[in-house]
Amino acid sequence: MKTYIAQRLGIAILTLFGMSVVIFVMLRLAPGDIVDVLFSAAGYVNPSEKQAILKELGMDKPYWRQYVEWITQIFHGDLGKSYRYDLPAWQIIRPLIPVTIELAILSTIVAVVLGVPTGIISAVRQDSALDYVMRVFSLAGLSMPSFWLGMVIILGLVSWLGWIPPLTYVKPTENFWLHSVQFLLPALAVGYRSSALIMRITRSAMLEVLREDYIRTAWAKGQNERAVVWRHALKNAVLPVVTVIGIEFAFLIGGLVVTETVFNLPGVARFLVEAILWRDYPIVQNLVMFIAIVVILSNLAVDLLYGVLDPRVRYAS
Amino acid sequence: MRPRTMMFLAAGLAVSGLLLGGVPAIGQAPARAPRSGGVLTLAQREETPQGFAIHETSTVSTTWPAMPCFSNLVLFDPLKPQESTDTVIGELAEKWSWQDNYRNLVFFLRKGVKWHDGQPFTAKDVKFTFDMLREAPDAQGKLRINPRKDWYTNLQNVEAPDPHTVIFHLKRPQPSLLLMLASGYTPIYAAHVPPANYRTACVGTGPYKLKEWRKGEFIEYVKNPDYFVKGRPYLDAVKYVIIKERGTRIAALQAGQVDAAFPGDTSKTTAEQLKKAIPQMVITRAAENVNENVIMNTKKPPFDNVKARLAVAHAIDRRSLNQAVHQGGAAIGVSMPSRPWGVWGILDKDLPALAGYGKPAEEKAAARKLMAELGYTPDKPLKIEIVTRAIAIYVDMASFIINELKQVGIEASLKQIETAQWHAMATRGEYQIGANLTGIGIDDPDANYYENFACNSPRNYTFYCNEQIAAMLDKQSAEIDPRKRLALVLEIQKKLEAEGARPTLDWRVDNFANWPHVKNLVPHNNFYNYGRLQDVWVDK
Repeated sequence: MKTYIAQRLGIAILTLFGMSVVIFVMLRLAPGDIVDVLFSAAGYVNPSEKQAILKELGMDKPYWRQYVEWITQIFHGDLGKSYRYDLPAWQIIRPLIPVTIELAILSTIVAVVLGVPTGIISAVRQDSALDYVMRVFSLAGLSMPSFWLGMVIILGLVSWLGWIPPLTYVKPTENFWLHSVQFLLPALAVGYRSSALIMRITRSAMLEVLREDYIRTAWAKGQNERAVVWRHALKNAVLPVVTVIGIEFAFLIGGLVVTETVFNLPGVARFLVEAILWRDYPIVQNLVMFIAIVVILSNLAVDLLYGVLDPRVRYAS
Repeated sequence: MRPRTMMFLAAGLAVSGLLLGGVPAIGQAPARAPRSGGVLTLAQREETPQGFAIHETSTVSTTWPAMPCFSNLVLFDPLKPQESTDTVIGELAEKWSWQDNYRNLVFFLRKGVKWHDGQPFTAKDVKFTFDMLREAPDAQGKLRINPRKDWYTNLQNVEAPDPHTVIFHLKRPQPSLLLMLASGYTPIYAAHVPPANYRTACVGTGPYKLKEWRKGEFIEYVKNPDYFVKGRPYLDAVKYVIIKERGTRIAALQAGQVDAAFPGDTSKTTAEQLKKAIPQMVITRAAENVNENVIMNTKKPPFDNVKARLAVAHAIDRRSLNQAVHQGGAAIGVSMPSRPWGVWGILDKDLPALAGYGKPAEEKAAARKLMAELGYTPDKPLKIEIVTRAIAIYVDMASFIINELKQVGIEASLKQIETAQWHAMATRGEYQIGANLTGIGIDDPDANYYENFACNSPRNYTFYCNEQIAAMLDKQSAEIDPRKRLALVLEIQKKLEAEGARPTLDWRVDNFANWPHVKNLVPHNNFYNYGRLQDVWVDK
């Protein structure tokens, strides 16, 4: 197991290096840079002033040198300076991370709590009225864009209750109730959509497992439904579900941009889009690397979970 | 006492009471005296570009949240919506005086004013600021970006003979200078603070001190206890909550989480919806001093030909655009806004004589005739690409223009340009025709024309250069008699329209929305200039 983890981490480091090159190059391929955006805010462009600012920001150096400097800085624990804010990038990024992680975790919990039981029930009661209702419910979730659902929630709240959740981040220590409401609503909007996918995967996996011989044997031996479904079927059906949950969680870390925008949460995704529009390279590069790390780690966690869930899975030394 | 006597006595007492206490207008509650305290929460549509560095940006997204920190030498009276020379009041300057036939402007500064860090404000700070703005060779400070350098080309030098006197020496008379100094775009920077610092923090002399700027979330100010106007500001704090999504901003206003909208944010339709949902919401129509216009590259075919430009000007029905895009909520005018939104614009009765302002059918016919002279017809159209910024309000306008042009033999395809590339593209002239918005810091021809029509101005995106017009610009700028100046400006407007220089389509009008408990927040006919908030109070 330790060897397996070490191998995976080694591959992860190589993956991150590859990612760093890709994001570095892609950013520079996008037309325009921070200086163009600064001039846009001023309404004009002056070529000589532009050159001076490029030099001030170190952007006049050859690309390979800029890349090496960035990677060297990371190894020294320095994420560089935001071009836009003229502050250390870590100072800008640090407050965003807990917001997005919390929202992603809550959304995943909502997705699992909604998706897994409904998937099981739908599979066990296949082709019943309940099954159809749940399938329609999940299809609606897949069809509804979460930003639209978020906006409907906001507009519904303001129209019916004259109230919306707080629009500046409330720390849990400041007011736990307001903090919970602030996160629960977007988590519901995002979780509903993710639950639809999880529900369908769960249903599909359960249906496959419920047709297995050992399930028929369990029925024949007189086991009750609860034991057959939860102890025998679900344990064998859960692997693909865990995979999807892991992928969804990783996606949420960088994919919550619209939800964070609609609910005005200061998270990673919303800030990343802003930083891309501003061509704030240090922020973009570091946030993308952060997202890549989360994706890699969540994939690793899912793979390790396989070994816990399925004793047949062994990781070669 | 007899009943009749009592009746007369009671009536007499009632009348006396009214006379002593003042008679409120029928149906109107008596005005309440301002009271101190409270927090004002305002909507902010995006993160302020460049922090509080007003001198390095040209957007209301900076002036609106940054103005409370600063003071100007003079300012437009916050309580008067129409800005003019008559509404200029002193801030850091107690008195001022034009001398030598409008060639020297002398300011006598307030004494005892302190910067937010406790340092004393003196004339040195004023000289520092304006030497920096005019890029004097011996300037102590330098801006990274200086968008309003053109405002100060006539400024010879700034003298500070003593700590409380400043003299602006001009190369020639320029009455508009006072108005430029009153703009929200002209705060005084501290000589002891590097200009770059204003991108991350704010040291001003304004009514509010910066408490916190949480990036992407909010900007918060607290009352400046040392503010030089005693008894001001009324508010304990001001908070600008950054809400990028427009629907969420409107919902926040409706839910009372913000007390007032962001300037320019409330369209006519939104205002009607807000009023329906919240009948007590106060909606005030005020010009933004932002116009929608068409830029045509005069250095490249086909718009190097004045006939092609005039065809475009004739083709676009301004009134229909106003209805289609703004639901009738914009104001029609040419290169300067007309009354009641501005004081320099051509009168409504004179508009029909200009290209694009007559009867739609006749205008379209005139456009087709011009295109035919150039060899194009609706069956054999001129094919062009129209560019615009990839922002909804630009795209709406561009889409309408495309439809209008199609009817006169011009087939335009739309190309949306990301903001990061827009100004670079426009400055380099890498376009044929574009749908554009232009905001102007003050309602004065100098601010508009030198930026947008002067030869070699970096914001003259059309590269239009007419020596006769340039001479007229200088002449009107130096004209001291307001009536003569107005006549010259009217003439310039007509000539610019006759050349199809940069046809104006309309002037945007805001429907500024605020809750009724917000008092003394008076929108001006220019949304860059009323963000100081020193007289604003909340009645709750």
